[in-house]
Amino acid sequence: MIPPQFAHIEALDTLPKLLRDNAKRYPHETVLRTKELGRWRTWDWTRYHERTRQWALGLRALGLQRGDTVAIIGDARPDWVAAAVAAHALGVKTLGLYQDALDDEVAYLLDYCGARVVIAENEEQVDKMLSVAAQASGVERIVYCDVRGMRKYDDPRLVAADTLLADAVKVHAAEPALWDSLVDATTGDDIAILCTTSGTTARPKLATYTGGKLIRHVATYCAALGIGPDDEYVSILPMGWIVEQFQAVFQPIVCRNRISFVEDSETTMADLREIAPTFIVLAPRVWEGIAANVRAQMMDASLLKQKVFAWGLGLGLAAVEKGGVSRLAQAVVLRALRDRLGFTRLRFACTGGAPMGPDTFKFFMAMGLPMLQIYGQTELGGVYCMQRPGEVDFDSVGTGLTGDYEIRIDNADNQGVGEVVSRHPYMFEGYFRNDEATRADLRDGWMHTGDAGFFKPSGQLVVIDRMRDLATTSAGDRFSPQFIENKLKFSPYVSEAVLLGDQRPFLAAIVCMRFPIVSKWAEQNRMAFTTYSDLASRQEVCGLVGREIERMNATLPPAQRVRKFVLLYKELDADDGELTRTRKVRRGVIAEKYGEIIDAIYGGAESVRIDTEITFQGGSKQRIRTSMPIATLAHEPAAGRKAS
Amino acid sequence: MATATAAVVPAAPAGAAPILLELDDVSLQFGGVRAMSNVSCAVRRGELFSIIGPNGAGKTSTLNCISGRYRPTSGRIRYQGEDITGLSPNRRAGLGIGRTFQNLALFAGMTVLDNISVGRHHLMRAGFVRGMLYWVGGAQREEAEHRAAVEEIIDFLEIAHIRNEHAGTLSYGLRKRVELARAIALKPDLILLDEPMAGMNLEEKEDMARFIVDLNEEWGMTVVMIEHDMGVVMDLSHRVMVLDFGRKIAEGVPDDVRGSDVVKAAYLGQPGEEAAA
Repeated sequence: MIPPQFAHIEALDTLPKLLRDNAKRYPHETVLRTKELGRWRTWDWTRYHERTRQWALGLRALGLQRGDTVAIIGDARPDWVAAAVAAHALGVKTLGLYQDALDDEVAYLLDYCGARVVIAENEEQVDKMLSVAAQASGVERIVYCDVRGMRKYDDPRLVAADTLLADAVKVHAAEPALWDSLVDATTGDDIAILCTTSGTTARPKLATYTGGKLIRHVATYCAALGIGPDDEYVSILPMGWIVEQFQAVFQPIVCRNRISFVEDSETTMADLREIAPTFIVLAPRVWEGIAANVRAQMMDASLLKQKVFAWGLGLGLAAVEKGGVSRLAQAVVLRALRDRLGFTRLRFACTGGAPMGPDTFKFFMAMGLPMLQIYGQTELGGVYCMQRPGEVDFDSVGTGLTGDYEIRIDNADNQGVGEVVSRHPYMFEGYFRNDEATRADLRDGWMHTGDAGFFKPSGQLVVIDRMRDLATTSAGDRFSPQFIENKLKFSPYVSEAVLLGDQRPFLAAIVCMRFPIVSKWAEQNRMAFTTYSDLASRQEVCGLVGREIERMNATLPPAQRVRKFVLLYKELDADDGELTRTRKVRRGVIAEKYGEIIDAIYGGAESVRIDTEITFQGGSKQRIRTSMPIATLAHEPAAGRKAS
Repeated sequence: MATATAAVVPAAPAGAAPILLELDDVSLQFGGVRAMSNVSCAVRRGELFSIIGPNGAGKTSTLNCISGRYRPTSGRIRYQGEDITGLSPNRRAGLGIGRTFQNLALFAGMTVLDNISVGRHHLMRAGFVRGMLYWVGGAQREEAEHRAAVEEIIDFLEIAHIRNEHAGTLSYGLRKRVELARAIALKPDLILLDEPMAGMNLEEKEDMARFIVDLNEEWGMTVVMIEHDMGVVMDLSHRVMVLDFGRKIAEGVPDDVRGSDVVKAAYLGQPGEEAAA
């Protein structure tokens, strides 16, 4: 059922129709902001509408027709969203690609979706498109937005966005009724977007959506959270992710909240502070990064500040445990910290895309942030299950958005744990050109998510892990790798962790240190080191991380404690296929690639020798020869023994 | 030698362009030490011209003579046909000659933004009185225009994330970039770069090489550069001049210089050996 405040979407069932309507009714209301050359530039509805019209007429001039696909690659920018809505106005599907995707991934997706036109933000992306031209031979034109560095190309497929849009202005002058006729011809049943699934085990699939369903889904979500025209959002996540397309492309047009695009990924925190959004959605890794950053900066602060911070945070955390907020800690420390981070106006702060460790969650709760866990899959509109303000706990992901969002647990074991199976009226239509996968995952209208979970007595859903990742030690103890990894990642010294132990006698972990913080720690402890690999191989660092793991072990039952670990000589990287683009661990790749290390851990070795070559993004190679110590942790962490 | 800039191909040298800078028989002597002996060369508008040579060959002295820090003992320096031999460094900056230093010369206690803005100072017209009448005297508008120009440079050199950081807290590679930004802020026609890549890692060198080529090709600046990384010099430069003990021993396009026996002997190794580049 459509919430009453969004009744207008019954008639205006596509983004182009809604945009045109907003431009008519609220011509001078600000909708988008983008930071260019150090200043925030605003787009009102009129500008947004005009720009979208230009993109539509421009893309049409390139020969795009109803049913075609256009791929967009680049950082989140106003032109990204305008071009997407413009494509919808032509009945053309959009596929948002991750801006950091490698040639091989891009080639596969372009070929698979059959894109005829690609919109590329800048030289870097154009370079990528040209280098995959042979594999993605269906691409006829590449539109680029930023002209810098483009002078060296003379490929006939390239066309500058400025030229395209300038020509579109002439087309509009010659045929003023054309745009309206295009918009009028759109229907809510048109396939509007293709969205990549995360692909933890294989190549990503493409979920297809109609515009009408996503609009209704967004309206339901906005009604549930009370998001409206007074709200401010800052776009931080990659546009390839369904949740960001939902928040950046659909949500502002449906519920008229304002959205700001950051200047650069590196200026995110400064931009956040300038805008002070009223709500944000970040992936756990971003929250973890912010928490680690705060701790790292405190390491540089004076002793007095460190003491005050520790005291305030302690008070805040104690209050969170009792379900409240410490006013004293807020007044003395935490409010100022919240202000530094740009979180003073937040009405709610969501985390989604992967489970977040409770410690990180509590850290931000102590700071007074209204944290909410959200949950969903690409196939189910990104978010369909969420906690509500006032009902927050640290392990659940809440309940379905409304009664229309149904969730059940299939094949539950005696503890109620089984596969999360969901459906709602606004979910995807199926996988693009992959009926087999559609039949496998979508049965009788229910989406089999592959996630393991259970319901708490309160009715809140708890998601533990991926079904296939739930593991059992050879001693028969069941455990969730992700749950323990999240606990590990709360340590400021740990950036990534992969838990091992399925069909093995005990649990062990491959850990990646958080380089900026560990290097700072090393400097403070007067340790000389050269590279990441060098630092990771040091006994002192091994001891540091070992103590962190022992601290975490103390909070876990004995069978779930990590007994051994190695500090990996490099960081896990999506470019090496070890993580998905949304930073989920690809366990299959890890097991295969680091099989030797895993065997050494379980073979009782004290160290493992590495002789390998790594390739950097620029194509240069570096040979790494090092020896990684395998640390064994005490069986009884309470005894306080140190890592070997 | 591994090169940071394999993908960058120099455009054709600006053969027909007018001469922008000319050194005519320039010598420089410090007491009994001859830092430069009868050096002559001409740099055309739009060129990317490099000066190489072993340590102590007189490269930085040459740059200092051009920027006005040193005054030649004999010989003339002409810029746009005008004799500038006797002009002070600030007058030369006013004519459009900017430079960076081999050893960083930033204001460590000032932000990156302020450091770059210093480079705009000689272009500002508002004085004390107009500054007092900030809103009505045009000083506000002028400040906004200069800030916009600075932001263009920040965007070009990709240093937006450190805009408000103090220069003293930055890594060496970033400080080099900020120094370049300040030199560009002068809006020079001719920019003198003294070892822009010294002390940088491979990635920083790649970025810097890209910026220098873009400065030359997109911003239209004539570049005179001293650099030790032969890969960079040979890849980027239109022409190269080689100095040894203060004397010019070769000048020409990179391939010719690389092939010259005199150069090999003086700088790149013994005759007959493979050039390091």
